[in-house]
Amino acid sequence: MKGGWFRGYTIFYLIFLYAPIVLLPIFAFNNATTIAFPLNGFTTIWFSKLWDDPALHQALKNSLIIGCSAAVISTCLGVFASRASSRYAFPFKTPLMGLIMLPLVMPDIILAVALLTVLLGIGMPLSLFTVILGHVLVCTPFSIAILSAAFQSLDQSLEEAAYDLGETPISAFRLVILPLVLPGIISSLLITFTISLDEFIMAFFLAGNENTLPVYIFGQFRFPQNVPVILALGTILVCLSIALLATAEYFRRRGLAKTGGKGTGGFL
Amino acid sequence: MTSETSTAADQTMIEFKDVHKYYGDYHALRGITATIKAGEFFSLLGPSGCGKTTLLRTIAGFEGISSGVVMIDGKDMANVPANVRPTNMVFQSYAIFPHLTVEQNVGFGLRKDPRSAAEKAKAVAEALEMVGLKGYGARAAHALSGGQRQRVALARALILKPKVLLLDEPLSALDKKMREQMQMELIKLQRQVGITFILVTHDQEEALVMSDRIAVMFEGEIVQLADPETLYRRPNSRKVADFIGTMNFLPADILSEVEGKVEVEAKGFGRLTLDAEQVSVAPGSSGASIGFRPETLTILFDGQTATDRESKAEVVEVVYYGDMTYYDIKLEGTTEPMRLSMRNVFGRPVLDIGTQTRVAWSPGALVLFR
Amino acid sequence: MQSKPKVRFRGSEAANGLLMISPTAIYAILLLAAPLGMILVYSFMTDGYLQIIPKFQLCNYFGECHSYKDVNGVLTESQTYKGVWSDPLALTLMWRSLMISMVVTAVTVLLAFPVAYYVSFYVAPSKKSLWLFLITIPFWTSYLIRVFLWKVILGTGGPINFGLLEIGLIQEPITWLLYNVNSVVITLAHAYAPFAILPIFVSLEKIDRSFLEAGRDLGESPFMTFWRVTLPLAMPGVISSVLIVFIPTIGDYVTPSLVGGPEGKMVANLVELNYKKLDNYPLGSALAVSSMALVMAVSLLFLFLNRRFLRGNKR
Repeated sequence: MKGGWFRGYTIFYLIFLYAPIVLLPIFAFNNATTIAFPLNGFTTIWFSKLWDDPALHQALKNSLIIGCSAAVISTCLGVFASRASSRYAFPFKTPLMGLIMLPLVMPDIILAVALLTVLLGIGMPLSLFTVILGHVLVCTPFSIAILSAAFQSLDQSLEEAAYDLGETPISAFRLVILPLVLPGIISSLLITFTISLDEFIMAFFLAGNENTLPVYIFGQFRFPQNVPVILALGTILVCLSIALLATAEYFRRRGLAKTGGKGTGGFL
Repeated sequence: MTSETSTAADQTMIEFKDVHKYYGDYHALRGITATIKAGEFFSLLGPSGCGKTTLLRTIAGFEGISSGVVMIDGKDMANVPANVRPTNMVFQSYAIFPHLTVEQNVGFGLRKDPRSAAEKAKAVAEALEMVGLKGYGARAAHALSGGQRQRVALARALILKPKVLLLDEPLSALDKKMREQMQMELIKLQRQVGITFILVTHDQEEALVMSDRIAVMFEGEIVQLADPETLYRRPNSRKVADFIGTMNFLPADILSEVEGKVEVEAKGFGRLTLDAEQVSVAPGSSGASIGFRPETLTILFDGQTATDRESKAEVVEVVYYGDMTYYDIKLEGTTEPMRLSMRNVFGRPVLDIGTQTRVAWSPGALVLFR
Repeated sequence: MQSKPKVRFRGSEAANGLLMISPTAIYAILLLAAPLGMILVYSFMTDGYLQIIPKFQLCNYFGECHSYKDVNGVLTESQTYKGVWSDPLALTLMWRSLMISMVVTAVTVLLAFPVAYYVSFYVAPSKKSLWLFLITIPFWTSYLIRVFLWKVILGTGGPINFGLLEIGLIQEPITWLLYNVNSVVITLAHAYAPFAILPIFVSLEKIDRSFLEAGRDLGESPFMTFWRVTLPLAMPGVISSVLIVFIPTIGDYVTPSLVGGPEGKMVANLVELNYKKLDNYPLGSALAVSSMALVMAVSLLFLFLNRRFLRGNKR
């Protein structure tokens, strides 16, 4: 068989990758407080307990506010940066793009303490807003990675054709560029939202007295009796993430198909 | 369908006055001065990087110029942006909007047109019919073949009735058969609409076939601007001669020059006198030489005699092409082989390598480069 | 008439480009470059109670430092602490973090290469996106919960111990899997897997398949073709994989906190301690700066050693 050994190895590797995700629902539906084998029968009690935890609801609300804001802001910033980098040559392009993409490799904790230092230095109180600032920083590089593919597969003569046919730069952008990169924008919104929803370190340092979902989850790990509820929550979050990602992937591919680009880059 | 401008035969449509264009230190256009007449099929021909596309884009308004003047229909285009210029372009990649249907593509430029929707739809249908795409209106643009995209691009540009249609290597992406078909269609279309067509191409054959006049460009300059026949028969420099078709060069000595007539001597041809129009203006670097096209020499078979002059020659290479045979011959007294082409006629033998033969030629078909 | 170069619809390209990128660039400068500069400055300042005293000193890095306290309006020395490079605990944690990062990087990249190779060379082009999507999904799903589940998997009641006990291979649950460096390495290798696969995949995709046929045609065995043609051409991707795994892992906080135990703590835990609990920003900053400097030094050394693979790779 073609690539037999590699295929076997890759499937084994995928099992390794998916092991935690597969275990998650098993324990979330297991009727026991301790997270261990052997299993003790099926229950949905952990899911129903999610409904009567006001702290969780507050954390969820905060995370949604942060996620939506960070997604919108970072995607806007991503549009500017990826359009600039794919369309124009300008001085300091490499260092500027390097700086903007830096959070992709920087350990989050360094970014978080650096931001914390400055925010406290200028006397800004920690709140959801400061978490949004941090999340935008983390999400923008991902947005640019997605949108650059969309912008780069645009033939520049499409824009020129629109000018040539009497449109102004603004109407050309609206009538030609925007419809073609829209799938990329939707994809970016979904991905950045997913990242923000899952981001822990920035929120841990910058949220002050507020909680986000990951900060709440991290706190609950200290109380073993609460862990099954967290796993139930995790199951829901994982399903939500996969749904969001699948939608994002659908839009990303549709966008590339529209502009005639190739669809094999993944998200990064 | 009538064009808005009166296309009187010799009216000037586009005028370049000493146009220069720099990209940083790179001098892309070096003093272009030329006029293009209304209703003309005009080609900009040259190798890649010669500035022909840049020049086309200065007409469209996509490139600014560093100095000089570009006039379209008597108006200086200095402050006129691309979207209000009376020109439309067919892009090399066709730039068909992939998210729109064929109809929406063709009608794209009519958005601000005050006509009613029904009238616009009629104009779109007419334009599609004109380019042979009747009934394709509802198709998605990304489902079209190369040739069809080309036609959509043409219809989209022509529907706005521009004064000038700019074509940037429009046929380069098509296969040979399709290209030849589109060449014919473009010529017919241009005659039908009477609009000035400006074609950028690196394909000399395409330029010769389609154009009324051709500007040959090298390194940012127009080196010769002439009709196809003049360009082919009387290239004004070895470079142009080399670029367009095949030309043989035979070293020659200039003996005298009287009132434009030049007396030269070349081994193989002997002593002859050439008219002023046969002498190139641009001086070459490697000494004088006589140039001639492969088809201007004819092999004489037994019993045939030359109507003008004849020389002795030896066949050194034979390449059989079906309709034609190409011979490399050495004229008597010369060392370099010269390329000669003969149309194959039934019953006439193809000569073997080493055959001693005679060739007929005429001094009028020669060009002198110095 | 001489007309100056006119500003057409494009304007000057440089100006338009800068204008276009300015919102993002300004954001990054204000909230990324400036803060990073700020912790560099802080790392040379003096620690006061709930404030920073702008007095330049090197002791956050070397030697002994004093924290100050505001006692009735007078700054008084309150506590002494050791600078990062003089503190055995900080040195241990930095050294351990560096080692863990290197092992994680090596493990992740080595394990990832065959996967990238399989997807690039054996999967049909139409299925490649699907495979990549499958590989990336776990990466995007709740990091905290994934790490916690590794704690379960490796723990005494986890599937590994349960399975081994059931089949009778062991009598007692094995405990050396969790709360040490092993568990940190396994968990991090899992977390950064897609990061390692994607760059390698991209560089493998760029290899013109006719090179490989040429290699075979010139009489090389499949293995030698891989060694002499494929691997050198894939090296740029391997190098970016290494960096993209190595740099962030050294600063990971969640994994050592949850599965590391006391033996598996890393430098990020100490940074957090100094920032959140001890409120010693200068020392925390010095620690952050030091570990980043360490990472940069190792990365640059790595790039230098591999420079021949990167040459002529400019696009």
